[in-house]
Amino acid sequence: MIWATIARKEIDDAIRSRMLWVIIAVFGVVSAFLSVILSFVPEIGASSTMAVTMAAQSAQTLGPIIALIAAYLAIAGERESGSIKVLLGLPPSRGDVILGKLIGRGLVVAAGLMAGFLIAGGVILAVYGSIPLGAFVLTTLLTGLLGLVFVGIAVGISASTATRARAMTLSIGLYLVIVLFWDLFAQFAHLAVRGSFPGTTVPSWYVFLQSLSPVGAYDLLVTTVLAGATTGTLPSLATQLEAGIVPVFLSSGAMLSILVLWGLVPLMVGYLRFSRTDLA
Amino acid sequence: MGGCQGLYDRLSGRKHIQYAIDLKGTDEDPDEILAQVGLTSDAVDRPVGGYSKGMTQRIVLGIALVGDPDLLILDEPSSGLDPNGVRQIRELVDDLSDQGKTVFFSSHILSQVEAVCDRVGILNNGSLVAVDSIDGLRSSLGTGSTITLSVDHRPDRLRFDDLAGVSNVVVDEETITVTVTDPAIKDDVIYRVRESGVDILDIVTRAPSLEELFEAYTTMAATGAQSGTMSIDTTEEGQ
Repeated sequence: MIWATIARKEIDDAIRSRMLWVIIAVFGVVSAFLSVILSFVPEIGASSTMAVTMAAQSAQTLGPIIALIAAYLAIAGERESGSIKVLLGLPPSRGDVILGKLIGRGLVVAAGLMAGFLIAGGVILAVYGSIPLGAFVLTTLLTGLLGLVFVGIAVGISASTATRARAMTLSIGLYLVIVLFWDLFAQFAHLAVRGSFPGTTVPSWYVFLQSLSPVGAYDLLVTTVLAGATTGTLPSLATQLEAGIVPVFLSSGAMLSILVLWGLVPLMVGYLRFSRTDLA
Repeated sequence: MGGCQGLYDRLSGRKHIQYAIDLKGTDEDPDEILAQVGLTSDAVDRPVGGYSKGMTQRIVLGIALVGDPDLLILDEPSSGLDPNGVRQIRELVDDLSDQGKTVFFSSHILSQVEAVCDRVGILNNGSLVAVDSIDGLRSSLGTGSTITLSVDHRPDRLRFDDLAGVSNVVVDEETITVTVTDPAIKDDVIYRVRESGVDILDIVTRAPSLEELFEAYTTMAATGAQSGTMSIDTTEEGQ
């Protein structure tokens, strides 16, 4: 498998990047800090499940950044430096290159995020004395998947662009839209339809709109996993909905599909554009 | 191989060769290939980000050598190399040619082409105007070689009109330059000069350089077509 050779080299190359290690360490520290800080405010009555939620919150913000930084240059960088010509002069096809980059960098990012999450988990266990183990493991895996999905997005962007500058612009723009502004758009949609901002209970279409972003889908998956792990400490999704029941399009299966599609579609677009582009 | 090659800055030279070996699925020894392109120092274990242009060029050449190819296409392989590096490239090309491989060698440095190539092709405005050995190019063009004679004074009467094979004569105060298309008449030329009553101090004979051949071929082609950019391609063929 020739893509596996490329993936191995990508891993070899990525673990030499000091920057990647620093931001993964920052992620571990921030998520541990956020999950512990709750315990300092007695009024909240923080539980270890809430602490895991906080760690997942930091994964939503930092995970995409880490993945985009790790992979936005995967192909555009090689095009700018000219090394893509050396690489494509060797046996691998353009598809092999994209697959190898995705798997190699995706594994590094997913492993890094999960390592950071485990750090937070260790701290939570030490501070709260317990941790919902099954839900924590599932959340850790979902965090790895989130990293993999954003690496897919970043490799897709990278394959579509010829220069570092354009890849960076697209990555930052996408981050702003997907991670920072998406919720805001959903809230404005609620305002437009209902004449008010969302209250304590919301219509299910509003939650669906929120979950159409990869971060939103991840958030809903984590909420479902953690609400299922404990009884009472976290409000379940059904109690937040006006209808009181979770429709199929908000099920975990639907959310997983959204998340995976976010990884695949940009990757396919990038592949199609890259496979037709003239590299000379 | 172009003038400015990008490699993976963080990976060492040896890892680059190993990567090419892995991708081509051969089981060669990276050190052997590194030695072939003249990289034997401990630099091969340092990241290529710190390499000079010449060392980078050698790594790229090494990557091309992985898998023992029958045909190598080298585009300006000596750019960025010092004279020793240029000589190593030439020796490597000679080695490869001895092994029966074909090396396609494209260069603007004609002295190198002259030193290394068995067959030379000249490209002008995108079309091939000549392909032959350098000797073949010389004889088919009929530009002939040049005899330059240093003399003690300008001869009063010196005539070559009746001598077939003399294409051009320039007589100065102290030098006489004669271009002959037939190498066999050089002796006659020298005899004529001596007969004219001057003392010959020195004799230099010279075959036309590839540069002159190149100029002749491309301007010849340009008389029929428009002139423009010129480049040269040369081929080296093993048996």
